[in-house]
Amino acid sequence: MFLKKFAELPPRKRIGLVAILLGVIAVFAGDPTSKARTTIDAKEIALLSDKDIAEVNAVDLADWIIKGKYDYRLVDVRKKNKFEKYNIPSSENVPITQLLSSDLLRNEKIILYGESERTASQAWFLLKSAKYKSVSMLKGGVESWKKEVLFPQCTCGVNPSVEQKHNHNKLAEVSKFFGGGMQSGSVEATTTQMKMPTLKAPSKIKLKKAGGKKKREGC
Amino acid sequence: MIAPFYKFGYFNDEVSLIVAFVLGLAFGFLFERGGFGSGRMLAAQFYFTDMRVFKVMFTAITTAMIGLFYLSWMGFLDLSLVYFGETYLLPQVVGGLILGIGFVIGGYCPGTSSVAISTGKIDAMVYALGGLFGIFGFGEIFPWIEDFFNSTHMGKINLPEFLGIDYGIVLFVVILMAIAGFTGADWGEKLMAKKKAAQVKES
Repeated sequence: MFLKKFAELPPRKRIGLVAILLGVIAVFAGDPTSKARTTIDAKEIALLSDKDIAEVNAVDLADWIIKGKYDYRLVDVRKKNKFEKYNIPSSENVPITQLLSSDLLRNEKIILYGESERTASQAWFLLKSAKYKSVSMLKGGVESWKKEVLFPQCTCGVNPSVEQKHNHNKLAEVSKFFGGGMQSGSVEATTTQMKMPTLKAPSKIKLKKAGGKKKREGC
Repeated sequence: MIAPFYKFGYFNDEVSLIVAFVLGLAFGFLFERGGFGSGRMLAAQFYFTDMRVFKVMFTAITTAMIGLFYLSWMGFLDLSLVYFGETYLLPQVVGGLILGIGFVIGGYCPGTSSVAISTGKIDAMVYALGGLFGIFGFGEIFPWIEDFFNSTHMGKINLPEFLGIDYGIVLFVVILMAIAGFTGADWGEKLMAKKKAAQVKES
Protein backbone atom coordinates (compact mmCIF):
# COMPACT_ATOMS: atom_id res chain seq x y z
CA MET A 1 0.00 0.00 0.00
CA PHE A 2 2.65 2.39 1.16
CA LEU A 3 5.08 1.17 -1.47
CA LYS A 4 2.46 1.59 -4.18
CA LYS A 5 1.86 5.18 -3.11
CA PHE A 6 5.60 5.73 -3.03
CA ALA A 7 6.00 4.36 -6.56
CA GLU A 8 3.33 6.74 -7.82
CA LEU A 9 5.21 9.82 -6.64
CA PRO A 10 7.29 11.79 -9.16
CA PRO A 11 10.99 10.75 -9.16
CA ARG A 12 12.30 13.86 -7.42
CA LYS A 13 9.88 13.43 -4.55
CA ARG A 14 10.92 9.80 -4.25
CA ILE A 15 14.60 10.78 -4.15
CA GLY A 16 13.81 13.44 -1.56
CA LEU A 17 12.00 10.94 0.65
CA VAL A 18 14.87 8.45 0.39
CA ALA A 19 17.32 11.23 1.31
CA ILE A 20 15.25 12.17 4.38
CA LEU A 21 15.08 8.51 5.39
CA LEU A 22 18.87 8.17 5.08
CA GLY A 23 19.25 11.37 7.11
CA VAL A 24 17.01 10.04 9.89
CA ILE A 25 18.94 6.76 10.00
CA ALA A 26 22.19 8.75 10.11
CA VAL A 27 21.05 10.56 13.26
CA PHE A 28 20.86 7.23 15.07
CA ALA A 29 23.69 5.48 13.25
CA GLY A 30 26.39 6.83 15.50
CA ASP A 31 29.80 8.26 14.71
CA PRO A 32 30.94 7.18 11.25
CA THR A 33 34.56 7.99 12.07
CA SER A 34 34.63 5.69 15.06
CA LYS A 35 37.08 2.87 14.57
CA ALA A 36 35.84 0.98 17.60
CA ARG A 37 33.20 -0.89 15.63
CA THR A 38 35.00 -2.96 13.08
CA THR A 39 34.65 -6.27 11.33
CA ILE A 40 37.65 -8.51 11.69
CA ASP A 41 38.73 -10.75 8.91
CA ALA A 42 40.00 -13.42 11.28
CA LYS A 43 41.70 -15.39 8.54
CA GLU A 44 43.54 -12.36 7.22
CA ILE A 45 44.75 -11.38 10.68
CA ALA A 46 45.82 -14.96 11.37
CA LEU A 47 47.77 -15.09 8.12
CA LEU A 48 49.35 -11.71 8.86
CA SER A 49 50.45 -12.67 12.34
CA ASP A 50 51.74 -15.95 10.97
CA LYS A 51 54.19 -14.41 8.55
CA ASP A 52 54.24 -10.70 8.68
CA ILE A 53 54.40 -9.06 12.09
CA ALA A 54 56.97 -6.48 11.18
CA GLU A 55 59.42 -6.07 13.99
CA VAL A 56 61.96 -3.36 14.49
CA ASN A 57 65.08 -4.18 16.34
CA ALA A 58 66.10 -1.86 19.19
CA VAL A 59 69.53 -1.13 17.68
CA ASP A 60 67.97 -0.17 14.32
CA LEU A 61 65.44 2.06 16.04
CA ALA A 62 68.23 3.77 17.98
CA ASP A 63 70.02 4.31 14.69
CA TRP A 64 66.93 5.90 13.12
CA ILE A 65 66.41 8.21 16.09
CA ILE A 66 70.02 9.36 16.01
CA LYS A 67 69.90 9.91 12.24
CA GLY A 68 66.65 11.84 12.62
CA LYS A 69 64.61 9.50 10.42
CA TYR A 70 61.04 10.46 11.12
CA ASP A 71 58.83 8.75 8.58
CA TYR A 72 57.21 6.78 11.36
CA ARG A 73 55.43 7.41 14.65
CA LEU A 74 56.86 5.74 17.68
CA VAL A 75 54.04 4.88 20.04
CA ASP A 76 54.39 3.89 23.66
CA VAL A 77 51.31 1.85 24.57
CA ARG A 78 52.13 1.55 28.28
CA LYS A 79 50.28 3.39 31.01
CA LYS A 80 50.94 7.08 31.52
CA ASN A 81 52.92 6.75 34.75
CA LYS A 82 55.30 4.25 33.18
CA PHE A 83 55.71 6.49 30.15
CA GLU A 84 56.52 9.46 32.35
CA LYS A 85 59.04 7.43 34.30
CA TYR A 86 60.95 6.46 31.19
CA ASN A 87 60.26 6.49 27.47
CA ILE A 88 62.22 6.08 24.32
CA PRO A 89 63.08 9.54 22.94
CA SER A 90 60.76 10.79 20.18
CA SER A 91 57.95 8.49 21.30
CA GLU A 92 54.42 9.53 22.17
CA ASN A 93 52.20 7.96 24.76
CA VAL A 94 48.95 6.40 23.55
CA PRO A 95 47.74 3.92 26.17
CA ILE A 96 46.14 0.86 24.62
CA THR A 97 42.65 1.94 25.73
CA GLN A 98 42.92 5.17 23.74
CA LEU A 99 44.57 3.64 20.71
CA LEU A 100 41.55 3.66 18.40
CA SER A 101 40.37 7.13 19.42
CA SER A 102 43.84 8.66 19.05
CA ASP A 103 45.02 10.84 16.18
CA LEU A 104 47.04 8.02 14.64
CA LEU A 105 46.18 7.81 10.94
CA ARG A 106 45.56 4.58 9.12
CA ASN A 107 48.18 5.27 6.46
CA GLU A 108 50.97 6.16 8.86
CA LYS A 109 53.89 3.94 9.65
CA ILE A 110 53.48 3.10 13.31
CA ILE A 111 56.00 1.43 15.58
CA LEU A 112 54.55 0.17 18.84
CA TYR A 113 56.31 -0.68 22.02
CA GLY A 114 55.36 -1.72 25.52
CA GLU A 115 57.25 -3.06 28.49
CA SER A 116 57.65 -6.38 26.73
CA GLU A 117 56.13 -7.62 23.49
CA ARG A 118 52.85 -8.59 25.13
CA THR A 119 51.12 -5.21 25.27
CA ALA A 120 52.55 -4.22 21.92
CA SER A 121 51.17 -7.41 20.36
CA GLN A 122 47.72 -6.62 21.70
CA ALA A 123 47.98 -3.10 20.34
CA TRP A 124 49.18 -4.51 17.01
CA PHE A 125 46.11 -6.74 16.86
CA LEU A 126 43.79 -3.84 17.67
CA LEU A 127 45.28 -1.57 15.02
CA LYS A 128 45.44 -4.30 12.40
CA SER A 129 41.81 -5.24 12.96
CA ALA A 130 40.90 -1.54 12.58
CA LYS A 131 42.65 -1.72 9.18
CA TYR A 132 45.76 0.29 9.98
CA LYS A 133 48.13 -0.28 7.15
CA SER A 134 51.66 -0.31 8.44
CA VAL A 135 52.07 -1.35 12.06
CA SER A 136 55.22 -2.80 13.48
CA MET A 137 56.56 -3.53 16.94
CA LEU A 138 59.76 -2.90 18.75
CA LYS A 139 61.28 -6.32 19.21
CA GLY A 140 61.39 -7.13 22.90
CA GLY A 141 59.88 -3.80 23.97
CA VAL A 142 61.51 -1.53 26.55
CA GLU A 143 63.29 -4.53 28.04
CA SER A 144 65.20 -5.03 24.81
CA TRP A 145 65.83 -1.31 24.45
CA LYS A 146 67.37 -1.40 27.91
CA LYS A 147 69.53 -4.41 27.18
CA GLU A 148 70.59 -3.61 23.64
CA VAL A 149 70.74 0.16 23.52
CA LEU A 150 70.94 1.72 26.96
CA PHE A 151 73.10 -0.82 28.72
CA PRO A 152 74.55 -3.11 26.08
CA GLN A 153 76.77 -5.93 27.14
CA CYS A 154 80.35 -5.97 26.08
CA THR A 155 80.68 -9.02 23.89
CA CYS A 156 84.32 -8.95 22.98
CA GLY A 157 86.78 -11.38 24.43
CA VAL A 158 90.23 -10.74 25.84
CA ASN A 159 91.82 -9.90 22.52
CA PRO A 160 89.16 -8.17 20.45
CA SER A 161 89.49 -7.87 16.70
CA VAL A 162 89.32 -4.49 14.97
CA GLU A 163 85.73 -5.14 13.99
CA GLN A 164 84.75 -6.08 17.52
CA LYS A 165 86.41 -2.96 18.85
CA HIS A 166 84.60 -0.85 16.29
CA ASN A 167 81.26 -2.42 17.23
CA HIS A 168 81.99 -1.93 20.88
CA ASN A 169 82.76 1.74 20.43
CA LYS A 170 79.63 2.24 18.37
CA LEU A 171 77.46 0.57 21.00
CA ALA A 172 79.12 2.66 23.69
CA GLU A 173 78.45 5.87 21.77
CA VAL A 174 74.84 4.95 21.11
CA SER A 175 74.16 4.05 24.73
CA LYS A 176 75.79 7.28 25.82
CA PHE A 177 73.60 9.23 23.39
CA PHE A 178 70.50 7.85 25.05
CA GLY A 179 71.83 8.38 28.55
CA GLY A 180 72.89 4.83 29.29
CA GLY A 181 76.28 3.20 29.39
CA MET A 182 78.19 0.15 28.31
CA GLN A 183 78.06 -2.80 30.67
CA SER A 184 80.64 -5.36 31.36
CA GLY A 185 80.36 -8.60 33.27
CA SER A 186 77.30 -10.78 33.48
CA VAL A 187 73.79 -9.47 33.02
CA GLU A 188 72.71 -10.59 36.47
CA ALA A 189 75.53 -8.66 38.07
CA THR A 190 74.79 -5.40 36.31
CA THR A 191 71.03 -5.09 35.97
CA THR A 192 70.68 -4.36 39.65
CA GLN A 193 73.03 -1.42 39.34
CA MET A 194 71.51 0.06 36.19
CA LYS A 195 69.55 3.20 36.70
CA MET A 196 67.23 4.28 33.93
CA PRO A 197 67.96 7.71 32.51
CA THR A 198 65.43 10.20 33.80
CA LEU A 199 63.40 11.96 31.15
CA LYS A 200 60.54 14.34 31.08
CA ALA A 201 57.73 13.64 28.68
CA PRO A 202 57.62 14.46 25.85
CA SER A 203 61.24 13.64 25.62
CA LYS A 204 63.59 15.55 23.37
CA ILE A 205 66.54 14.05 21.74
CA LYS A 206 69.73 15.51 23.00
CA LEU A 207 73.03 14.27 24.21
CA LYS A 208 72.88 13.47 27.85
CA LYS A 209 75.38 12.58 30.42
CA ALA A 210 75.30 8.91 31.25
CA GLY A 211 72.59 8.42 33.81
CA GLY A 212 73.65 4.92 34.72
CA LYS A 213 76.44 4.20 37.10
CA LYS A 214 79.74 4.71 35.38
CA LYS A 215 81.11 1.40 34.38
CA ARG A 216 84.51 0.30 33.40
CA GLU A 217 84.75 0.71 29.68
CA GLY A 218 86.69 -1.23 27.14
CA CYS A 219 87.15 -4.92 26.74
CA MET B 1 40.54 -2.32 0.64
CA ILE B 2 39.76 0.90 2.33
CA ALA B 3 39.58 4.35 0.76
CA PRO B 4 41.13 6.87 0.09
CA PHE B 5 43.06 4.48 -2.17
CA TYR B 6 45.94 6.79 -3.03
CA LYS B 7 46.75 7.57 0.60
CA PHE B 8 46.83 3.89 1.43
CA GLY B 9 49.29 3.36 -1.38
CA TYR B 10 47.10 1.14 -3.58
CA PHE B 11 48.46 2.97 -6.59
CA ASN B 12 51.49 5.13 -7.25
CA ASP B 13 51.94 8.70 -8.45
CA GLU B 14 51.84 7.81 -12.17
CA VAL B 15 48.57 5.91 -11.83
CA SER B 16 47.19 8.74 -9.70
CA LEU B 17 47.72 11.09 -12.66
CA ILE B 18 45.72 8.78 -14.91
CA VAL B 19 42.97 8.53 -12.29
CA ALA B 20 42.96 12.33 -11.98
CA PHE B 21 42.69 12.69 -15.77
CA VAL B 22 39.74 10.30 -16.02
CA LEU B 23 37.98 11.95 -13.07
CA GLY B 24 38.66 15.37 -14.60
CA LEU B 25 37.12 14.31 -17.90
CA ALA B 26 34.01 13.00 -16.16
CA PHE B 27 33.78 16.10 -13.98
CA GLY B 28 34.11 18.49 -16.92
CA PHE B 29 31.61 16.56 -19.01
CA LEU B 30 29.00 16.42 -16.26
CA PHE B 31 29.62 20.06 -15.40
CA GLU B 32 28.95 21.07 -18.98
CA ARG B 33 25.87 18.85 -19.25
CA GLY B 34 24.62 20.15 -15.91
CA GLY B 35 24.33 23.60 -17.46
CA PHE B 36 27.46 25.05 -15.90
CA GLY B 37 28.97 25.99 -19.26
CA SER B 38 26.65 28.91 -19.89
CA GLY B 39 27.18 32.27 -18.25
CA ARG B 40 23.49 33.10 -18.72
CA MET B 41 22.40 29.92 -16.97
CA LEU B 42 24.82 30.57 -14.11
CA ALA B 43 23.79 34.18 -13.68
CA ALA B 44 20.12 33.11 -13.77
CA GLN B 45 20.61 31.62 -10.28
CA PHE B 46 20.95 35.08 -8.85
CA TYR B 47 17.73 36.30 -10.50
CA PHE B 48 15.69 33.19 -9.55
CA THR B 49 14.67 32.66 -13.17
CA ASP B 50 16.30 29.24 -13.66
CA MET B 51 17.69 27.47 -10.62
CA ARG B 52 19.04 24.43 -12.44
CA VAL B 53 22.68 25.03 -11.43
CA PHE B 54 21.74 25.52 -7.80
CA LYS B 55 19.77 22.28 -7.82
CA VAL B 56 22.55 20.30 -9.50
CA MET B 57 25.13 21.69 -7.08
CA PHE B 58 23.13 21.07 -3.94
CA THR B 59 22.14 17.59 -5.13
CA ALA B 60 25.80 16.80 -5.68
CA ILE B 61 26.75 18.08 -2.24
CA THR B 62 24.01 16.14 -0.48
CA THR B 63 24.65 12.95 -2.44
CA ALA B 64 28.38 13.11 -1.71
CA MET B 65 27.72 13.78 1.95
CA ILE B 66 25.31 10.85 2.32
CA GLY B 67 27.70 8.61 0.40
CA LEU B 68 30.75 9.56 2.47
CA PHE B 69 28.82 9.17 5.72
CA TYR B 70 27.59 5.67 4.95
CA LEU B 71 30.81 4.46 3.30
CA SER B 72 32.71 5.58 6.36
CA TRP B 73 30.09 4.08 8.65
CA MET B 74 30.42 0.73 6.90
CA GLY B 75 34.20 0.91 7.17
CA PHE B 76 35.04 1.31 3.48
CA LEU B 77 36.47 4.77 3.93
CA ASP B 78 38.61 6.54 6.49
CA LEU B 79 37.11 10.03 6.71
CA SER B 80 40.05 11.33 8.73
CA LEU B 81 42.23 10.85 5.64
CA VAL B 82 39.93 12.67 3.23
CA TYR B 83 41.51 15.99 2.37
CA PHE B 84 39.78 19.29 2.86
CA GLY B 85 41.28 22.74 3.20
CA GLU B 86 42.01 24.44 6.46
CA THR B 87 39.75 27.20 7.73
CA TYR B 88 40.88 30.82 7.82
CA LEU B 89 37.55 32.34 8.73
CA LEU B 90 37.84 36.06 8.00
CA PRO B 91 39.96 35.87 4.83
CA GLN B 92 37.60 33.20 3.49
CA VAL B 93 34.53 35.35 4.19
CA VAL B 94 36.13 38.23 2.28
CA GLY B 95 37.29 35.89 -0.49
CA GLY B 96 33.81 34.39 -0.73
CA LEU B 97 32.25 37.83 -1.10
CA ILE B 98 34.70 38.79 -3.85
CA LEU B 99 34.04 35.49 -5.64
CA GLY B 100 30.28 35.95 -5.30
CA ILE B 101 30.36 39.47 -6.73
CA GLY B 102 32.58 38.27 -9.57
CA PHE B 103 30.21 35.37 -10.18
CA VAL B 104 27.16 37.62 -10.60
CA ILE B 105 28.99 40.18 -12.74
CA GLY B 106 31.01 37.78 -14.88
CA GLY B 107 28.55 34.90 -15.02
CA TYR B 108 31.21 32.32 -14.18
CA CYS B 109 33.32 30.92 -11.41
CA PRO B 110 36.83 29.64 -12.20
CA GLY B 111 35.75 26.03 -12.82
CA THR B 112 32.73 26.87 -14.93
CA SER B 113 34.73 29.30 -17.07
CA SER B 114 37.11 26.45 -18.03
CA VAL B 115 34.11 24.31 -18.94
CA ALA B 116 32.63 27.15 -20.99
CA ILE B 117 35.95 27.72 -22.82
CA SER B 118 35.74 24.15 -24.10
CA THR B 119 32.57 25.05 -25.99
CA GLY B 120 34.23 28.16 -27.41
CA LYS B 121 32.52 30.83 -25.32
CA ILE B 122 34.43 34.08 -25.78
CA ASP B 123 33.10 35.68 -22.59
CA ALA B 124 34.51 32.70 -20.63
CA MET B 125 37.93 33.20 -22.24
CA VAL B 126 37.92 36.85 -21.24
CA TYR B 127 36.79 35.83 -17.76
CA ALA B 128 39.62 33.29 -17.42
CA LEU B 129 42.15 35.88 -18.63
CA GLY B 130 40.83 38.25 -15.97
CA GLY B 131 41.22 35.48 -13.43
CA LEU B 132 44.85 34.92 -14.42
CA PHE B 133 45.50 38.63 -14.20
CA GLY B 134 43.87 38.66 -10.76
CA ILE B 135 46.14 35.83 -9.62
CA PHE B 136 49.13 37.80 -10.82
CA GLY B 137 47.90 40.94 -9.04
CA PHE B 138 47.27 38.97 -5.87
CA GLY B 139 50.81 37.63 -5.97
CA GLU B 140 52.16 41.15 -6.33
CA ILE B 141 50.28 42.60 -3.37
CA PHE B 142 50.64 39.47 -1.22
CA PRO B 143 53.38 40.90 1.08
CA TRP B 144 50.94 43.64 2.16
CA ILE B 145 48.06 41.33 2.92
CA GLU B 146 50.00 38.37 4.25
CA ASP B 147 49.02 39.01 7.88
CA PHE B 148 45.35 39.14 6.98
CA PHE B 149 45.73 36.10 4.71
CA ASN B 150 46.96 34.02 7.65
CA SER B 151 44.61 35.46 10.27
CA THR B 152 41.77 33.68 12.13
CA HIS B 153 43.29 30.29 11.43
CA MET B 154 41.11 27.49 12.80
CA GLY B 155 42.97 24.51 11.39
CA LYS B 156 41.41 21.54 9.68
CA ILE B 157 37.94 21.63 11.11
CA ASN B 158 34.56 20.46 9.84
CA LEU B 159 31.01 21.26 10.88
CA PRO B 160 30.47 18.38 13.35
CA GLU B 161 33.74 19.25 15.12
CA PHE B 162 33.08 22.98 15.08
CA LEU B 163 29.52 22.70 16.37
CA GLY B 164 30.31 19.78 18.66
CA ILE B 165 27.37 17.73 17.43
CA ASP B 166 27.05 14.31 15.82
CA TYR B 167 27.95 13.81 12.20
CA GLY B 168 24.57 12.20 11.60
CA ILE B 169 22.69 15.24 12.87
CA VAL B 170 24.67 17.55 10.58
CA LEU B 171 23.88 15.22 7.68
CA PHE B 172 20.18 15.27 8.52
CA VAL B 173 20.14 19.07 8.79
CA VAL B 174 21.95 19.47 5.45
CA ILE B 175 19.42 17.14 3.78
CA LEU B 176 16.56 19.21 5.20
CA MET B 177 18.33 22.37 4.03
CA ALA B 178 18.67 20.90 0.54
CA ILE B 179 15.00 19.95 0.34
CA ALA B 180 13.96 23.36 1.66
CA GLY B 181 16.33 24.92 -0.89
CA PHE B 182 14.84 22.94 -3.77
CA THR B 183 11.31 23.82 -2.72
CA GLY B 184 12.30 27.47 -2.37
CA ALA B 185 13.99 27.40 -5.78
CA ASP B 186 10.89 25.92 -7.40
CA TRP B 187 8.76 28.58 -5.78
CA GLY B 188 11.15 31.33 -6.92
CA GLU B 189 11.16 30.03 -10.50
CA LYS B 190 7.34 29.99 -10.62
CA LEU B 191 7.13 33.47 -9.15
CA MET B 192 9.61 34.89 -11.65
CA ALA B 193 7.85 33.10 -14.55
CA LYS B 194 4.54 34.71 -13.48
CA LYS B 195 6.14 38.14 -13.30
CA LYS B 196 7.66 37.71 -16.71
CA ALA B 197 4.33 36.58 -18.16
CA ALA B 198 2.65 39.64 -16.65
CA GLN B 199 5.34 41.90 -18.16
CA VAL B 200 4.89 40.32 -21.57
CA LYS B 201 1.11 40.84 -21.35
CA GLU B 202 1.54 44.52 -20.41
CA SER B 203 3.80 45.21 -23.31
